Amino acid sequence: MKDQISRVEREAREDLSRIDSVDAVEAFRIAYLGKKGKLTDLFKQLGNVPAEEKKAMGAELNRVKQWLELSVEECRKKSPGGGTPAAMFDETLPGIRPPHGSIHLLQQTIQEISWIFNRMGFETVEGPEIETEFHNFTALNIPLDHPSRDAFDTFYTTHGQLLRSQTSTVQIRVMKERKPPLKIIAPGRVYRPDTVDASHSFMFHQIEGLMVDNRVTFSDLKGVLHLFLRELFGSQTKIRFRPHFFPFTEPSVEIDIQWGKGWLEILGAGSVDPNVFDEVGYDKTAVKGFAFGLGVERIAMLRHGIQDIRHFYENDLRFLRQFS
Amino acid sequence: MKISTNWLKDFVELAPPVARIAERLTLAGLEVKKCESLTHPSDTLFEIEITSNRPDWLSHWGVAREIAAVENIALKNPAVDPETGRTPPPGWKIQIKDAGGCPYYTGVLIEGITEHKTPDFIVNRLLACGIRSISLIVDITNYVLLEVGQPLHAFDADLIRGKEIIVRKPKQGEKFTLINGAEIELKSDDLVIADSDRTVALAGVMGGKDSEISDKTRNIFLESAFFNPGRVRKTSRTHQLSSDSSYRFERRVDPEGVDLGRSRAIALIQKYAKPRYISAVIKAGEKPQLDVKTIHLRADEVTSVLGVEIKPSQIALILGRLSLHVKQHMPGSWTVGIPSFRPDLMRPIDLIEEIARIYGYENIPETLPAREPLTVGESPRLVLERKVRHLLSGAGLCETVTFSLISEDGLSPSKDLQHAVQIVNPLQHGLHWMRPTMVTSLLNVIQKNVNAGADSVPVFEIANTYMMSDQQKHPVEERTCAIALYGKKAAQTWLDTARAVTSYDLKGFVEAILGNAGCADLCVAKAQKSYFAEGTGEEIRAWQTPLAFLGQVSAELLKMWDLKEPVYYAEISLEKLLTQSEKTRVFKEWPKYPAIERDLSLVVKESVRGGDLISEIRGMGQGLIREVELFDLFRGKRVPKGCKNLAFRMIYQSAERTLVSDEVQKLHDRIAQTLVQKYQASFQTS
Repeated sequence: MKDQISRVEREAREDLSRIDSVDAVEAFRIAYLGKKGKLTDLFKQLGNVPAEEKKAMGAELNRVKQWLELSVEECRKKSPGGGTPAAMFDETLPGIRPPHGSIHLLQQTIQEISWIFNRMGFETVEGPEIETEFHNFTALNIPLDHPSRDAFDTFYTTHGQLLRSQTSTVQIRVMKERKPPLKIIAPGRVYRPDTVDASHSFMFHQIEGLMVDNRVTFSDLKGVLHLFLRELFGSQTKIRFRPHFFPFTEPSVEIDIQWGKGWLEILGAGSVDPNVFDEVGYDKTAVKGFAFGLGVERIAMLRHGIQDIRHFYENDLRFLRQFS
Repeated sequence: MKISTNWLKDFVELAPPVARIAERLTLAGLEVKKCESLTHPSDTLFEIEITSNRPDWLSHWGVAREIAAVENIALKNPAVDPETGRTPPPGWKIQIKDAGGCPYYTGVLIEGITEHKTPDFIVNRLLACGIRSISLIVDITNYVLLEVGQPLHAFDADLIRGKEIIVRKPKQGEKFTLINGAEIELKSDDLVIADSDRTVALAGVMGGKDSEISDKTRNIFLESAFFNPGRVRKTSRTHQLSSDSSYRFERRVDPEGVDLGRSRAIALIQKYAKPRYISAVIKAGEKPQLDVKTIHLRADEVTSVLGVEIKPSQIALILGRLSLHVKQHMPGSWTVGIPSFRPDLMRPIDLIEEIARIYGYENIPETLPAREPLTVGESPRLVLERKVRHLLSGAGLCETVTFSLISEDGLSPSKDLQHAVQIVNPLQHGLHWMRPTMVTSLLNVIQKNVNAGADSVPVFEIANTYMMSDQQKHPVEERTCAIALYGKKAAQTWLDTARAVTSYDLKGFVEAILGNAGCADLCVAKAQKSYFAEGTGEEIRAWQTPLAFLGQVSAELLKMWDLKEPVYYAEISLEKLLTQSEKTRVFKEWPKYPAIERDLSLVVKESVRGGDLISEIRGMGQGLIREVELFDLFRGKRVPKGCKNLAFRMIYQSAERTLVSDEVQKLHDRIAQTLVQKYQASFQTS
């Protein structure tokens, strides 16, 4: 038995010296330590060894086994492609990414616009979506029976309220609650019974803005809104101010930005109409103000090259995750 | 509206290129959307868009007037008939029985029309503006409408019974056949033109079949009138009838244009139809006057609104260019007379806008208002919303935006919709509820994505839910965060295996949000919703305030939405969460003394609830248990049927001293024994 052990050990030493690859290490391990390995065989024969030698032979076998295991491990580390961290690392494999969630693009756009105005001292406020005729029309100088209401076609509730067709309702609420000076913006959902197509939806998002104090002028409106558009679209942005009509502002203006070869309407604004100040109980001879409103979808579509407004409400994960 | 530049040249000189004129008009508020070149005959068309306050621009002459003002050039008037030296039409009379609906009505009888061919220039100009030639007389009325903005109507005079024109309300149940052949039932506040027997036209909107002229008509009665804008609008809406006439009447025509339009038409009819007889004009009523005929304006008002000083002489000049009658009181102060076609000018601010328009918005400087320190921050609710958004999106959920208007599909009329807000005039698909819950909206999102091939749909939305409240008349809007989970918890990777999402994943999100907001002392209770599978719903409360509920969507709904795997759904009231959140966190020192861990594995009946065991353990801990964590739960194998094995890890730790292993072991054994007795639990033997 003792001779057998010595022979196996000697053979192993010779085999070890010839090992030149990871595969060879594995073959070596199997040849000696595997189920039918040479050393394993000797362990099996231990049963036949006389009792007085058993302990010594067992100890000898274990010594050789330990030496073999250690040698195999060392060999593995030394061989090309062996088990070192450097050898096992494959930099071309993909990483395990954290789960891929996202904040909705409309929300991101609202946030970004809000931050620009927040930095200019405008406070973000909110108002209800289910509104009264007073806040949505009357106080905004929109006569009940007038073509100017065409643009503001409206959903009504069975209890005689309506779904706000514009976020301008929030300026009325804030002015009724607070005294000037005021600088607010109000983002939110608005509703108009438009049939849904690539550029229309019966629900969309607006951001309303309002500034009121004792000396704000139309030139301030131009300054603030131009600064906003440069912040949002970049300092090279070209814009133009075009007279328009809104019942609740005068003078009223639409602002276009240059887009490719043409101009695109981007927001509506104007000096607050004195009738609106009357409605909310401000002294129209003592205060001045300007208000503006912009469509969030429109801005997001322009900035991100989205051609169809329905993408925003279909919530396809392939869309949502593009803007995470 | 389409405007032919050839036609404009009848009234103003257009210095080329016309594209420049188009831009000038646009920058003065008369928006030219498109310039289109035509050949044969060569012309350029302006596609203009007109705001509702400027109906005076709804004609070529009106646009020419604006060009004259903007370009500061002369304006020619259209050639009109002098309407003098003629005899009244024998026996004809006009009667206005509804002066509110029609304050002013005029007409003229024209007999013996001999020519019926429309001259080429009229055919071409009408065609350029999108109107096909019909017959000479109709073409002339359309021509005048497009030229000066006054709608006219020509009746076949031989078909008017009793030589009588009556402007009145319809009789009870009166029916009327329109020119287009459709029969309508007239409503009590419609306004009609009638002869002695019957209605012959729906005033300002459309004529009648019975009195329609043809290309053989020899005798006509030509109407030119002012109809009340509100009444025409109402009729037009009621009967869903819109015409070039009604479009202008409902925006208000120029009262002076009634006479101008008629005399212009007579001139054209005289020239091209060659009638034998034209009567004197017969009239009823009075031209409506402007409410405001003069406005006082001061130069300093202009400066304070616009923020730019415009010289008083320039202000006066601009107002004059707009055909306003300017009279100076003293330097920098004027009385401004308003012409009949500008009822929109009533206050100084209206004049200031006109001055700004013509002065040029581009010439007003840009300034920034003085900055005051900002004393208001972001509202706590917006801060909370942002936190929730970042928490959920960071954990792999996608935020959705779905419509607040929903149908009743999947919801129980008696349970879910009983207090819901209903829409009277829904647009489509029965979307007539303001949603009281977002569950069906998110089911739609899941279905859509599953159909598109997604095997995992983790989504959330932050939006209002709506409910009528008993106490208040106005509906309550509650800012809510809804979460829905479907499919895989996480995608399979080359390192990890995928696993299906469970209701405990959902609960983890809810707990994380509540914990993040700083809610303490939460308790849970069973809660049922119509759309949850029986027994799967629960509610999370802080004291008595319910903050959130969650559960597994019922099999019935899954079937309706054609979903194969379970959907877990939660709603958190951000509104209520705010009332429970702590404002500023206070630092808590952690224990300095070492902790000792002990595990406890128990087999209990399925009916025993894990949360009760945890409370029980804590209760017996003598203040020495810092944490109890459920780290394993399994069934089957050696666990008897109807039972489950729960494994808890308890951390014993004192804030005051080092615990001795012996005392912890004693306490731990005591707890174990108590649980065994109280819950008929047994220890798992392996």
